[in-house]
Amino acid sequence: MKYGIKLWKLDLVYFPLSIWDVSVWIAFMAIILLITSELLAPYSNNLGDFVIDKKRLRLAALVLGVAFTVTVLLHIIMPT
Amino acid sequence: MVPPKPENDPKSNEKNAKKSEQATVEYLMITLQNLQKENEILKREALKGKRTPSGKIGFILLTIGVLALAGSVINTSTVLAFIGLGLTFWGALFLFARPLKFVTSTLLDSTAISSYTTIDRMILDLDYKGKPIYIPPYPKEAYLPEYLKGLKEMVVFISAEDIVVMPTIEEMAKKQFFLKNPKGICIAPPGYGLVNLLEKELKAEFTQISLDQLYSSLPTVIVNNLELAREFEINPENNLIRVKIVDSVYKDLYSSEQGLKSIHSIGCPLSSAVACALAKTTGKMVTIVKDIVSPDLQTIEVWYKTLEA
Repeated sequence: MKYGIKLWKLDLVYFPLSIWDVSVWIAFMAIILLITSELLAPYSNNLGDFVIDKKRLRLAALVLGVAFTVTVLLHIIMPT
Repeated sequence: MVPPKPENDPKSNEKNAKKSEQATVEYLMITLQNLQKENEILKREALKGKRTPSGKIGFILLTIGVLALAGSVINTSTVLAFIGLGLTFWGALFLFARPLKFVTSTLLDSTAISSYTTIDRMILDLDYKGKPIYIPPYPKEAYLPEYLKGLKEMVVFISAEDIVVMPTIEEMAKKQFFLKNPKGICIAPPGYGLVNLLEKELKAEFTQISLDQLYSSLPTVIVNNLELAREFEINPENNLIRVKIVDSVYKDLYSSEQGLKSIHSIGCPLSSAVACALAKTTGKMVTIVKDIVSPDLQTIEVWYKTLEA
């Protein structure tokens, strides 16, 4: 009788983007949203057939801006 | 044989007058009911009305984005991950930045027209000549005995005669529609709901702020917070208060096609709300002296006057 360890080939699935990739993406999105919200400021919520709440758009832009700042701080604290 | 009664008999004349008055009131009640039904139908249409596409776009983007993200994890693809991240984000943003309630301004006009038509018909049928006067209410926090609680509501008094005579406090407190002494009617101002909304945005009651504060805060609330007009100016001018509204959401109510007469004396919902705010802040009665509307309906200028009780 043989005893042994059965080896399994594991296919690990992982998210292909690192935190720094996501950080750059957040930075781009924050800039786009901040510019959009600034440009939309003098107009009403109704942009033709498209309706958007400007206050919430600005809030989302600011949240992304803060998120980017947090990732940069993380980069400074943990450079590797 | 009984001789026919002469036509100029005072008793029969009185009876006829009473009958015609009753018939007028009945006719007004029926008209009012019909207009209320019409108003309800329009409100329902407004709710069913144009659905904003931002919600649909948001859902589609979100679904594709999530699928792309799942695909990126399975295939370990950076490109798919970026695409998925972007689509998911924009989908979520469209859903988040979608206004909860949105109706087009044309539907806003449609629902307001019935009220003005009713007021027009009532004034015409009753042959009332007085100018509408906005009577300030008592502050909400003020203590009043039960029988005077009706004084806490903002009302507009339209007198039968073209002289400024105010009804007594007791009569106004009864919350009656027809007033006998002096003869006239008491109605809720068209901007009654709007003035509550303005107070909510302002986070203060108009009875608690000064006139200067009102002049400085009202344009911000109307233009930036509620977006009821593109521009709004309010300033005192020769014992009157002048208000200039540019591109109001209620501008179409002033069009000659609508042919509304009462809108010039009682004001559109926005100018009525301003009158209510002025009455509440000053604690005085307010009346609309005149209004000028530009031919393209873009600019509406209204002059208000405060009256001493």
